[in-house]
Order: sequence, then C-alpha cells, then structure tokens
Amino acid sequence: MNGNQSWRASRRRLLAGGAGLAAAAGMRPSAARAARLATSAHIVIAGSGLGGLAIANRLARSLDGARITLVDAKKEHNYQPGYTLVATGLWPVAKVRDTNAEFVPAGVEWVQEAVAAFDPVAKTLETAGGRRIGYDFLVVATGLHLDYAQIEGMDVAAIGRDGLASVYAGPQAAQATWAAMDAFRREGGEAVMTLPAGALKCAGAPLKMTFMVDDRLRRAGTRERSAVRFHTALPTDTVFGVKAVNDAVLERWKGLGVETNFLSKLVAVDIGARRATFASPEGERTQVPYDFLHVVPPMRAVDAVKNSDLAWKDGPFAAGGWLEVDKATLRHRRFPEVFGIGDINGTPRGKTAATVKKSAPVVAANLVDAIAGREPSQQFDGYTSCPLLLREGSAMLIEFDYEGRLTPSLPMIDPLQESWAAWLMKYRLLKPAYVAVLRGNV
Amino acid sequence: MYEIWLVLNIALEMARANAVPVVFGALVLLALFLNALRRRGSAWRRAFLPALAVGVVAAAAAIPAVPALTRSSLADMAYWVDWLNLLAIAAAVGAAAVAYAWPLITITRGARS
Repeated sequence: MNGNQSWRASRRRLLAGGAGLAAAAGMRPSAARAARLATSAHIVIAGSGLGGLAIANRLARSLDGARITLVDAKKEHNYQPGYTLVATGLWPVAKVRDTNAEFVPAGVEWVQEAVAAFDPVAKTLETAGGRRIGYDFLVVATGLHLDYAQIEGMDVAAIGRDGLASVYAGPQAAQATWAAMDAFRREGGEAVMTLPAGALKCAGAPLKMTFMVDDRLRRAGTRERSAVRFHTALPTDTVFGVKAVNDAVLERWKGLGVETNFLSKLVAVDIGARRATFASPEGERTQVPYDFLHVVPPMRAVDAVKNSDLAWKDGPFAAGGWLEVDKATLRHRRFPEVFGIGDINGTPRGKTAATVKKSAPVVAANLVDAIAGREPSQQFDGYTSCPLLLREGSAMLIEFDYEGRLTPSLPMIDPLQESWAAWLMKYRLLKPAYVAVLRGNV
Repeated sequence: MYEIWLVLNIALEMARANAVPVVFGALVLLALFLNALRRRGSAWRRAFLPALAVGVVAAAAAIPAVPALTRSSLADMAYWVDWLNLLAIAAAVGAAAVAYAWPLITITRGARS
C-alpha cells in the first residue's frame, strides 16, 4: 500500500571512518552510522515547533539530494515545557525564548509564512500569502489551536490582570500568569483552577499549576485564609487519564485541602467582576467568584488541518479535527505520503515534548522508508512523560504509553514517588535534552 | 543505552549553553597541567593527598550547595534516588576540584622546593 514505489531510491553507505569521526564530533552515532538515502524527493514540513525542526534535522542528515522545505511564519522558538516554571516564578521568561533560525539545518529552505490550507489530493499546501507549494512527501507538525474563544468573555490580552491567569497562551502569558499569582499569594483568597474535557497539550500542566498555587500560598503564609478549588469538565474522580497518577494526585490534593469539582466546565468569565461561570453536562450554570483564576482553554486542531481532508472524518478524534494518522507508524491512514508529529496527531494521549522526543526518530525512519518504497519499519508505542511539579523542590516523573501503562525509563524508580531528582530534571536538565531533540541528536 | 546517550547529549548542550566558562575553565586546566608537567614525578606524588583533601572538601560543600542552587534544600531529599543523584553530582564536583588542585599544588610546592 505504498504510493511512492515509483521513487527509484538507492542507498549508499558512509565510509566507516567518516561515520566514526562524525559520531565523535557531532554526537550523532545513529545518524552517522546509518545509510543516507539518495533521492530527489521534495519533502515539505509544515510547522517549525519541536516536531518540525527535529524532523528537518533528521531528514537533512538521512537524505542525500532531497529538497526539504520548512513552512512556518514563526521566527521565535518557545520552550513550552518551561512555561509552568515561568508562570510560577521559578524561571525568567528569557529561558523559554530562542529563535528558530539557530535550529534550521543548512540546506533546508524555510518559507516564512503560515500554512493556510492543505490539499492532500493535489499534494499541495497553501500559505497565508497565497503561495502554493507542492510536495512529494509531507510532514504535518503544525501544533494545535488553543480555543479560548469557546470561553465567553475570555480575553488573552487580559491575562495577568484582575487575577486572570493561563499558562498556555505563550511566554508573555506565562510571565503575566506569574504576575497574577504573585499578587494573589500575598493576600490569599479564592483560587479557581480549571480543566476542560478533550485532548490537551501537556495535560499535566493544569495539575502542576494547582500544586504550585498551593505551594506559593503556603510559602507566603496565606494558605490558611485561602481556598484552592479545582473545576474539571471530566467525570467524577477524574483529573488525569492515567489511573495510577490520577489517584495519586487526588490523594495528595485531599491532604493539601484542594477542593475538587467534577463535570464542571468553564464556559464564561467576567474578568472585571472576577466571576467564572461553570456549566454541568445538563446545562445548569453556576457562577463562582475568584481572586485568582487559571484558565485552561479547550484545544483542537489548527484550522488548516481541521478544514482539510487530512483530518479524521469519524471516531473520537473527528470532532477536534485532528490529523488522521496510524498511531503506531504515525503515517496518514489515507494519504501514505503524509506523516504527522506532535500535538496535531489524532492519537490517544501524548501531546508533550517527550512524545516528540520518542516519536521523531520513528517518523523520520518511516518517512525514509516511504521514500525508499518500503513499508514503515518503526512503531511508536505512545510514550510520553510528565514531570509533575508538586512544590518548589519536588516533582514526580511520570512516564506512560498509549495504554496508560506506567513505563519508567529506569524500572527500579517508583514513578509515583515524589523526588528531588525529578525536580532537578525539570528545573535544569530537560531544556538541554529538548535542544538535543531539536537538533535531531536524541 | 539510550539513557546514557541522552545524558551525554544533555551534558553537551549544557556545555554549549555555557560555552565561555566551559572553554575558559578547560584552557586554565590545560595550562595548569602543561606547567605542572615540567615538575618531577615526586612533586606530583607529594601533591596528590593535599589535592584529594581539596576534592573531599569541595564534594562536601557541594552536598548542601547543589540543592540550594536549584531552588531546593536537603529537606527535599525524599527518596534514595535523590541521595544517589546528589552524591554523584558532589563526587563530580570533587573530582573537578582535584583536577584543578593537583597540578596547582604540584606547581606551587615544586616552586618552593
């Protein structure tokens, strides 16, 4: 079922000595040892986030003679896993800001325009500037859309004022969230934390923010006169998709005095009056006053994917318009020359940087297989991880797969044990690891 | 194996992010060794124990300092893995201190004798 068998690809191996030198100099043993595929294929990568750049770097080393085009208007590269650290006063915002230019590999053409539409039948995409770009192979790495518009009265520009917070909307929003939290912790009061239903980027972030609000209040000495209330649209006793983690979090919150409200969806906010409105599944609305509100927006596919033939047409991922990929090969189920990586994929769980870390080698290898006219050789198990901040100085490092099974990298370590080592990873080590993924080295 | 590779890449990226101090530190260390290489073997042997003592002191100092530098404290060591990591980091700090102290003491003692 490979539509690209017309590609007459040939392989040539690098000299062993050259591979050794490359490995020693560039810390890329797998790429250096691997054969490079000679091809004249045109590969277009839509999106320059972690997934897009990791694939660009891997393909630039794996292919000989290919034309690789990266399409994205974004010039700034944001280390999104650091947003929770910025939003809780642990990191300066500068630590999550880099430029894409330093990670785009040599020889890759970068079209600095947003992708507006895909036409997979014609094998083209269209940019916001009206430019049509054809491709032989496409990697969709557009990320997702934060659908704040679903919350009536929500204004992203108001984050940081009147107790309004939201860690997701970008580095400025993360910084503004800390401004709101910092002001709130001094006086204390009513903290209202939210979690919508549906697929989320870093589903642990709403939980981390809740733990950290509690921690900030305790350190400021204002916890006693405060309340932390968590509202989620999810069913009773559910705040996270992995049961063992879910139960551990609820147990900890019980000990900390965090109140939980289930089947309670944030539908509106009156920013000036500091009132949030929640709706039950039956449509009953309840207004809740707050001094600090953390808004987690519903999320869906970006319009360019959602409105295209690339999106799921039925099943659980259709409503969000997510990319219809096979969850093991990450290849499109109907358009075999299309692959997906990162948040846009319509797969169970895993919209995290850790997912990209483990799936980028799979996508790159399977794409090279497709160019060579072979069936995909690599399978992705859905690995993802979440360093769940519990308080300043402590975290749990949770790793799991598509099935929700805990899959610790080091099996002797209990993933539900709070630890400083997990904190150290989040605070100091994960950004260098992220950069290594960007460069396609791990 | 993957984890070892990941750790090596993390170390590489940390070095890249701190290129100026890393390169400066390496050049200083190289200069110390080149200078000390001109001393006799006995000077090296005599300098080892004092250098080791410097390393032990540095490692001991690192035990409370590393958590403090990462917005945490010894009170956050809740798991054996935490102590294992902290002791490994402290040992690395101690080894680095020995690497600098040994040639330095060799040079200074050699100059006096």
